[in-house]
Amino acid sequence: MDDLDIALRNTTYGLFVEFGKAPTVDETARRAGMASAHVALGWQRLHDAHALVLYPGTDELRMANPFAARSTPYRVHASGRSSYANCAWDAFGICAALQSDGRIETACADCGDEITVHVEGRKPVGEIDVLFHCLVPASQWWDDIVFS
Amino acid sequence: MNLFRSEEHIVRWLDGRSPGTTISALALCDLAHAWWGDRLSPSWRPHTRDQNQSILDSLGLTGTFWQLP
Repeated sequence: MDDLDIALRNTTYGLFVEFGKAPTVDETARRAGMASAHVALGWQRLHDAHALVLYPGTDELRMANPFAARSTPYRVHASGRSSYANCAWDAFGICAALQSDGRIETACADCGDEITVHVEGRKPVGEIDVLFHCLVPASQWWDDIVFS
Repeated sequence: MNLFRSEEHIVRWLDGRSPGTTISALALCDLAHAWWGDRLSPSWRPHTRDQNQSILDSLGLTGTFWQLP
């Protein structure tokens, strides 16, 4: 990943937070002062490098990990904004990335019972007796990051 | 990568599949801060595989399951 792609990646992440949603290629191109086609090509390189995730065959952002582009069962309120995370790990990761306390709203993946965990001072408070289960071994996470 | 009420809920959700691994919310929060804490930093650089493995190791997430490719 070269410096230009890192700069594009950082601009993309910054817009994701600023907009509260995934930026489009055109929005990112305007902010970066680049042609849209160059942003699309850069995003594909970043996707290939696991620095973000695109929907297959498109130039639409799916994940700027830990942020999710569309609604998920993991809603995070932190730093004065609401975001969706890709998974439970990413939900805590949004608080970490924003360097903020926060509130994670989700549900038990088995029974659907609502779960709310607060993060205060980088530690969970509230319903902290919940458990995190990771099904896929680390060696296989990027074989199918959406399933992982 | 989900949250569950208890081990019993995990077993029921697995429905016969082989389990992965389970950690506490406290451990998950520590992992998330170590893993994602720099993602919005202007000086962000891509983590190397060894940097990420060091994060896992430093938090006691060791063994075959936590070995990155």
